[in-house]
Amino acid sequence: MENIVKKYQQRFRKVKEEMVKWEELQSCLVSQFVNASSIIQRLQIIQDCKNYGVLRCIEGIQVAVLAKQMDSLDSILLSMSKTMEDFQAVVSTIEKIVHDSAQLSKGGSAHLTSKQMQQRVGLKPSVVDCLDGLNLIADMHRSEYKLKETVVSTLAELALKPSACGDLVSLQRLLVDQPNISMDEVQNLLEIIFAEEIC
Amino acid sequence: MVPSMDPSHSPLQPSPSPSASPSSTSTNIRIWKPAAQRNLRNQWSKLANLRHKWTASSSSGRSHATSLVNSFLSQRYMDGMELGVLSDMPDIKKKACLKLSKQQANHQNKFLSAYKDMVAVVVQMISVSKSMRCYNKVSASSPLAQFSSSTENENDNGDGGGTPVFKFWSIASFEEMAEEIIQMFTSELTLKRLLVMALVSAGDKKVPQLSELNWSDEFYSGEFSDLGACELLLSSEPIFPSLSGGKTNTDVMQHVYQINREVLQVYLTTWFVEVNIDRYRVDEIFAIVGEEMHVILA
Repeated sequence: MENIVKKYQQRFRKVKEEMVKWEELQSCLVSQFVNASSIIQRLQIIQDCKNYGVLRCIEGIQVAVLAKQMDSLDSILLSMSKTMEDFQAVVSTIEKIVHDSAQLSKGGSAHLTSKQMQQRVGLKPSVVDCLDGLNLIADMHRSEYKLKETVVSTLAELALKPSACGDLVSLQRLLVDQPNISMDEVQNLLEIIFAEEIC
Repeated sequence: MVPSMDPSHSPLQPSPSPSASPSSTSTNIRIWKPAAQRNLRNQWSKLANLRHKWTASSSSGRSHATSLVNSFLSQRYMDGMELGVLSDMPDIKKKACLKLSKQQANHQNKFLSAYKDMVAVVVQMISVSKSMRCYNKVSASSPLAQFSSSTENENDNGDGGGTPVFKFWSIASFEEMAEEIIQMFTSELTLKRLLVMALVSAGDKKVPQLSELNWSDEFYSGEFSDLGACELLLSSEPIFPSLSGGKTNTDVMQHVYQINREVLQVYLTTWFVEVNIDRYRVDEIFAIVGEEMHVILA
């Protein structure tokens, strides 16, 4: 029994590592988003030759500036989709850990009764605590990944109609907030799983 | 992309210089090559450094320009600003404007000095591009072969008779590559000059500390001699910016433009996108030149 719980704690450590990766990707994605949205907000202004002042004396300047900005926007959108791939890899790794953990309690010689599954020894978590916790974390990240996917594809659509600057602000809010991931809940969960280490 | 495949411009082609130069006998070339290789590596690593210096000055110019624009806009919109509890203070808006215009003058100076740095970078780039050749030094007293950066013999082109210096390229091919880079930076420099003029002159004409610039003014003392070194002067006036293949309508430059938030934003955007500099191509040139010379130019 105790051994199984130890194995679960091991899995949680791995999941924690993945969550650290997730945070790094998150700050990367946010800064990419900010850069892309500042270009999108400029697009309308730089498309209007009225706004070129004295630069109007240079033939083709407006086309050239716009082309440069579209180029940068393209490459930012490309790096965002690369970041999304990395997010997906984190989600798959977490899901794989959860899947393997579910096998731990079912498979092999250690077939546990439901009473054993719920048993807590001292400060140690029960097997059910561990399984539910891992599932919860996986669910949060899976849903958050889906949300991010929508945000990123909406951003690409907005690039084509830059009149909707207000939408950019709310999209950014959504991206930064990560509404599907409750850090409080995760924190509480980890306190239960690693209760003995905290004491 | 590979350097131009047009056979007449191919870097593989030896330069058409006469083979009668004293450095072209096989012994001489064997001695000349190491010196020429050392020189090319030095010049190209200088060029790579200068490129980074340009980037640094350009981005500091950008941040000073942004501050300049912000203090200008704050002054302009001061009248409409709601100052709440502060509005009871006597002359508060006047004092704030005075302070802002002092700040603006300060940003102007820093902005101009960033521009000055960028001119200096281009001047050095051009001098580097003119120092790629390696000449025999005529010295009767010493039995050792010596080399110099300037010619002492009119038959000596400093290019080893057009022989490949490393694997394939002659000196002329290295010069061609440097020329392509310098072309981009000089064009961008004239565009930056126009932006400096426009942004510096955006200030309130009534404030005495603030300068106003015209195209034919020297933006700092000695600017014209620097621009002359960059071949950017035409009958002692700076040449106008233009995009490759495009024209410049200088009549338009005489107009008085309304300066508003949008125009200033376009100026700042044009400053940092550097339309004349194809970053990918510059990276590529440094990569292929570095490969030819067995060094990494970063």
